[in-house]
Amino acid sequence: MAFDPKNAKLNTACEVPGILFGLCHDAARDKLYGAGTDWSVYCVDLKAENLTTEKKWTNHENYVSALGLLGNDVISASYDRRIIWTNAETGEQVRSVVAHKGWVRDLAVFPNGKQLVSVGDDMLVNIWNGETGELLNTLDGHDKQTPQGYTTALYAVAIAPDGKHIASGDRTGTVCIWETSTGKLLGKLHAPTFYTYDARARVRSIGGIRSLCFSPDGLMLAIGGIGLVSNVDGFVGPCRMELWDWQTGQRTGTCQDKHNAVLNQIAFHPSEPYVIAAGGGDSGGILAFWDTKKEKPIHKAKPKGHLQQLIVTPDGNRLLAAGHDGFQIWDLVGATK
Amino acid sequence: MAGATTAGLAGVGITGEVSAASELKRNQKRVLCIWLAGGSSQFETWDPKPSRETGGPFRSIPTAVPGYHVCELMPKLAKQMNKIAVVRSLNTGISEHGLAADLISTGRPKEPALEYPEIGVLLAKELAARESKLPDYVSFFLSTEGRRRPATGFLGGSNAPMLLEKAARPSDIELPNGLSDLKHKEREHLREVLSNEFARGRVGGQMVNGYNSAYAKVRGLMQSDQLFDIDKEPAAVRERYGRTVFGQQCLAARRLLEAGVPMVKVARGFWDSHHDNFESHRELVPDFDNVMSTLLTDLDERGLLQSTLVVVLSEFGRTPKINKNVGRDHYAAAWSCGFAGCGIKGGAIHGKTDADGKTVTDGEVDASDVAATIYKAVGIDLHKEYYSGLRPVPIAKEDAKPIDSILS
Repeated sequence: MAFDPKNAKLNTACEVPGILFGLCHDAARDKLYGAGTDWSVYCVDLKAENLTTEKKWTNHENYVSALGLLGNDVISASYDRRIIWTNAETGEQVRSVVAHKGWVRDLAVFPNGKQLVSVGDDMLVNIWNGETGELLNTLDGHDKQTPQGYTTALYAVAIAPDGKHIASGDRTGTVCIWETSTGKLLGKLHAPTFYTYDARARVRSIGGIRSLCFSPDGLMLAIGGIGLVSNVDGFVGPCRMELWDWQTGQRTGTCQDKHNAVLNQIAFHPSEPYVIAAGGGDSGGILAFWDTKKEKPIHKAKPKGHLQQLIVTPDGNRLLAAGHDGFQIWDLVGATK
Repeated sequence: MAGATTAGLAGVGITGEVSAASELKRNQKRVLCIWLAGGSSQFETWDPKPSRETGGPFRSIPTAVPGYHVCELMPKLAKQMNKIAVVRSLNTGISEHGLAADLISTGRPKEPALEYPEIGVLLAKELAARESKLPDYVSFFLSTEGRRRPATGFLGGSNAPMLLEKAARPSDIELPNGLSDLKHKEREHLREVLSNEFARGRVGGQMVNGYNSAYAKVRGLMQSDQLFDIDKEPAAVRERYGRTVFGQQCLAARRLLEAGVPMVKVARGFWDSHHDNFESHRELVPDFDNVMSTLLTDLDERGLLQSTLVVVLSEFGRTPKINKNVGRDHYAAAWSCGFAGCGIKGGAIHGKTDADGKTVTDGEVDASDVAATIYKAVGIDLHKEYYSGLRPVPIAKEDAKPIDSILS
């Protein structure tokens, strides 16, 4: 059976006010949660006949930046520096911790469903007991400033499928690889193309590693963002993804397209050798499908607005996305012939 | 005209004498304009609107002025707000970079029949020491985007500032190998004689005078190279300003101001955050906060803040609406600027915007009012007239109203 991304089709779009930065899917209940810039968490019940959004709760006091699912709880990270556990059914706040000294940018739940990891603007990687909210370890290895002496950021975190390793990516294009059990920094991958510092025209920077994803076999790490930017006033540079053999520290592939955008999220297809990336920028929103062996995408779909997040359901039938125009549900069934 | 007749830092005198007129120097009025090219966001600096949809994700923090909050990206300036006055009620109308920069820089709308000089050019002319061998106006504009050379307008090219556009230190001001200072002076004398001979009886003699004046300044400049050398500063001072380009330029600016240069402009580009506004302001504002607060402390510790007006301007602010690229676009209907030092009532907050920062609700001012405020702060008569041909031109626009609430 051949997978043809050209047949990917936007099925439904559900609007919310503002932007959704984070997304998680409760596969058991087939509900989709989105993290809003209006400080709220939104939900779409994908089983419903007519899909509509529901504002579920407003537990944070700033943009909600990332979501994860742990048992019955939706875990939300926010620019208010906190991570909050909320019972998905009752909307009751279960637990709240001050997670970072700065915005919490991203979080990920371990495959064992017992731990989670967060990254924040204090440039730290924190590992948490998902059941108690106890801070288990703090991993410190990213530079605290850019090479030019400016504030930097730690945008993305990902966990290897076996849970044994964590990858964290920062603004200047550095990925740290950590051993989960010991917190040891195993190495750094340097991908400086994701960071454009314009020393001449505008004397500032743009870019950063905005997305990270391990391949299903755990051997490959995909890094997403934007390539060399010609005008740092905006995302005026090619959308870019790099594939790395993170264990040897070798870049094994470069995927780039002239579509000017930053890739905010990457996901490997669960069964096909494709990577799907979502983002937006000067050329508008993009949903790009890459064959991991090729530089150019095999297909670029035009989403409704800029995308911040995407999830491919485990059966590979649907692509769930969120961004500047709310939720989007894409049908991938037709893409599999 | 106020001013010192010698110029020099302790140990860096250009006349070879350590200043004997330090008291006079302290009283000489100077202006530093910090130009945030491209348009900084008032929301992420002086006029935050936390918890509003337009406010973005940054929190506000209290300042040394009770009841007044600034964006959390400015913790150091927050502590020094008793030295700073803020105007939150600029409505300047023009939101195109070039036209807006011209408007704010001159304090006047464009006029087909008359080209006005930049405020800094007028300030330099008014505040310059008569016999100073230093430049009257040094303009740092190292970034290329948005770079605009200060217009001399009807005052003519002889009033043009010294432009530093490639490096924060002038290049090619050392004597070539093998050329002695005496020989150089002799050449300069010959050049002057020939120039004056050429100008005699010709229309355009004024231009030759301008050249002569410029050459005299160059002679002074060649002897003042050390003023631009921030490596002469103690390491602790350099550390305080930080290692960013903006920090280094502001340290050089402080050296120039201290030495007696009456007008310095430091442009820090480029704030045009159409995309990723919050990320770019996370980068730019902390640098501005550190450098500006260090500068104010440094000037104060040296006894220079009372006589040095520091103005922070942009061509406009940024939109309340956060666009699809998480950016803010150009906005001139309600934005902010800051003042400190000479003639300024520290801690004064002028004007207000509505809860979403969309409109000015109190104390609206325009570009000509800002210009008049600058002139008045350093004691320049707003009604003093220059002449463009036979046309008298007052320094400030005729209907300009200085913002008295921020003046001491």
